[in-house]
Amino acid sequence: MLTLYRKLLRLYPAEHRELFGEEMIAVLREEIADNTNKKLMARGRFFAREISGVVTGALRQHLRVWFEVREGLSLVTGRLAMRNGFRFPKTTIVFMTLILACVVTAIKRGEDIAASVPNVDPPLPIHIQPVHSILLGGLPLFFAFFYTAGLIGWAILFALRRSGVHRLADMSGDQK
Amino acid sequence: MALCDMSRDATMETLPLTEPVLLILLSLAGQPQHGYAILKDVERMSAGRVVLSTGTLYGALRRLLDDDWIERYEEEESSRGRQAYRLTPHGRRNLQLEIDRMKHITRLATLRVAMKER
Repeated sequence: MLTLYRKLLRLYPAEHRELFGEEMIAVLREEIADNTNKKLMARGRFFAREISGVVTGALRQHLRVWFEVREGLSLVTGRLAMRNGFRFPKTTIVFMTLILACVVTAIKRGEDIAASVPNVDPPLPIHIQPVHSILLGGLPLFFAFFYTAGLIGWAILFALRRSGVHRLADMSGDQK
Repeated sequence: MALCDMSRDATMETLPLTEPVLLILLSLAGQPQHGYAILKDVERMSAGRVVLSTGTLYGALRRLLDDDWIERYEEEESSRGRQAYRLTPHGRRNLQLEIDRMKHITRLATLRVAMKER
């Protein structure tokens, strides 16, 4: 059981593991010694409690790290207290606003140019599919493809414990 | 004074406490204890009703440490992996607030139930 428990402890953020890992194993060792003479059912309950405890505990600690969600000490079950905090530099907001302004300006200029060009009359005999209809069909597919590729990439990094979240956790663990 | 009120308001937001957290704090109210002793004390105090897993205990200890309700206590003879914890003055004050709240509820409940029975 200790071996499995040690492996499951890896589910915790590095920082938590470094702070409490050895203590948790020491406590579990004492508990195992306590439970050796108990009946099979009691030992089974103990095993299930510890395994589910370590898995849910790890999940909660990750939630705390990822979303800066702090589980309240209060009785209200499931109530989560959110902590305010910027997760990216404030300059990002400025750049995003600038990019939005550029996009809006470009659209406006495009409309002005379209209005200044005289209409061709009679219409061209060859039917050409308008560009926007091609884009409208292709764009969602295009974005969906890159979105999926991004998600798969992130999942691989996460599985390899190389994601930004893990690196941050490792860094904060090192600092302690 | 305003600061004191703010601190009290922040504390009131975290009350009432969950039963496991209350029992952990009560376990530390008498003397510093290490993890295993806390587990056993919680089980004893609740007459076997609340049995904490190691993961749950250390999750709660983590939150209490973060909120400065408890602190690590260096024992003279501490072996590897046996870290003791004790209540901070802030934690003791909050525990007292919770006990007062419970006393008030108990008194109120006793009165109301007695009125109904008359």
